[in-house]
Amino acid sequence: MVAFLLLNFSANAQNFLSKNLRIGLFSSTPLEDIRAVSDNGSAVLVAKSREIAVQLNVKTLEFDRKLMQEHFNENYIESDKYPYAKFKGVIDQPVDFSKDGDYAVTVTGVLSVHGVDKKRTIPGKVTISNGVVQISTEFKVACVDHDIKIPKLVFTKIAEFITIKAEGKLNPLK
Amino acid sequence: MNKIKYLLISFSLFTLHAQAQEADSLLKALDSGAVATTVDAAFKSTHVVLSHSSETQKKHDLDLRIRHHFGDIGGRFGSAHTLYGLDVASDLFIGLDYGVSDRFTVAVGRSKQDELYNFSGKYRLLRQKTNESMPINMTLFAQMGWVAREPLSDSEFAKYSDRFSYFFQSIISRKLSSRLSLQVMPALLIRRAPEDTRDPENLFSVGFAGRMKITKRLSFIADYTVVNGLSRPKDLTQAYYNPFGVGLEIETGGHIFSLNFMNSEYIVENNFIPNTKKSWSKGGVRFGFTISRNFTLFKSKNEDPDKKSKIY
Repeated sequence: MVAFLLLNFSANAQNFLSKNLRIGLFSSTPLEDIRAVSDNGSAVLVAKSREIAVQLNVKTLEFDRKLMQEHFNENYIESDKYPYAKFKGVIDQPVDFSKDGDYAVTVTGVLSVHGVDKKRTIPGKVTISNGVVQISTEFKVACVDHDIKIPKLVFTKIAEFITIKAEGKLNPLK
Repeated sequence: MNKIKYLLISFSLFTLHAQAQEADSLLKALDSGAVATTVDAAFKSTHVVLSHSSETQKKHDLDLRIRHHFGDIGGRFGSAHTLYGLDVASDLFIGLDYGVSDRFTVAVGRSKQDELYNFSGKYRLLRQKTNESMPINMTLFAQMGWVAREPLSDSEFAKYSDRFSYFFQSIISRKLSSRLSLQVMPALLIRRAPEDTRDPENLFSVGFAGRMKITKRLSFIADYTVVNGLSRPKDLTQAYYNPFGVGLEIETGGHIFSLNFMNSEYIVENNFIPNTKKSWSKGGVRFGFTISRNFTLFKSKNEDPDKKSKIY
C-alpha cells in the first residue's frame, strides 16, 4: 500500500519538457496565404498541478520569403521589443500521466503575444504513450486582441485572425 | 487547534505557490541556452541617403531602384527661375540589385552624369547577434565605375583605362535599438587622371550614417562622408565639398520611397565622393528622391507545407 502510494506519487510528480515544439502560424485571405513555422518552441508540463507553459522566440519563425519575415518582425510582432510569445495555463480536465491514454482537453490560461496578455481557453489534445507526452493544439488569435495593427494598404493580404498550430513531444525530466 | 489549522493553511498555500512557480522557472531554465538570433534590419533598405547601408538583398529578390537628384535650390543656379532646382536634373539613376544569396548581392546601374555605368558586389561578412556574441554588422562593398561619355577635351581619357574607377568600402553598422542604427564606412576610391593633378588617384574617405525610426514605417535617415583632408590636399583650385544628405524614408512592404536633401549632384559613390562641388552653405543643396521596388524572382523550393506561402 505504501509502496503503491509512493509509486503513484513519484509518477504524478513528474515534469515533462520539450525544446523543439513545432509552432506555426497561418494567415489566409482570398489574395494571399501566409505560413511560417519554427521548431524552436519550448514547453514545460508539471503533471501534479496539470500546469503547462509554452514559449516561442518569435524571431525563430521562418517564412518562405525573407523580406516578409523581416516585415513580420519589424512592423507587426516587433520582436526587438517583445521577443517571446508565451502561453501559460492549467489543463481543465484530469489527466493520468502515469498511464498510456488519449485526452481531448482544454487549457485555461494567459496568452502573451506582442506584449499584450489575454486570458484564453484553448482546445488541445494530450496523448501519453510510454511515458512521453504528445501535445497538439490549433486556435485562432485576433491581431486586434494583441494590439497588432494592420495598415489599410495590406488589409487584403493579412488576415484579421491568425491560426496558430503547435505540436510536439514532451519527454519526462529525470 | 487554531494554530494547527493556520499552519496547515499556510503550508498548503506555500506548496500551491511553489507549484505555480514551477512551470515558469522550468521554462526559464530551458531557455537559458536559447538560440542566438541575428539582429535584422539595421536599415530598411540597401541604401541610406547617398551611401550604401550594411543591408543586402534577400536571396532571389531583385530591387529596381530609381533615383533622382534635382538642381540647386538656392544660389546662382537656383531660386524661382529654375523652380528651386526642380527644372534641373543634375543626375538620374536606374539600377538593379539582385540577391544571389542572403549574404551576396550583385548590382548594375546607370547614371545620367558622365553616362556612368556601375557594377558592384556586396558581401555581408558579419551579422549582429542578439546575444552580443557579434556586436556589429560588417558588409564589404566593391564597385567598378565606367564612364561611357565622349571626352570633353583631347587630353581626357588619353588611355581607355582612364574611364574606369574602383571603389572599395567596408560598411560597419550597429542597430543600437529598434529605433536607432548607426554606421561607419571607411573607403578607398582608385581612379585615373583626376581633373587636378594634385588631387590623389587613391582617394580615402570615411562615411557616417544613421537611421532614426519615427514610426514603424517612417524613418529619418542621414549620411555624411569625410573626403577633404584625408588623402586630398585642402588647397585644390577647384573647391570640393564633403557629401551630406538627409532624408525621410517611407516603407510600405516591398516599396521604399525616400525624399532627400543633399549637396551632392551625383548619385553613385565613384562620382559623388570625389566630385561634389556644391555646398550646403552656398545654396547648393538639392531635393532628390529614391523609389525602390522589390520583386521576388523565384518561387522558393522549400517543400515544408507549414512554411508555404501563396499569392492568388
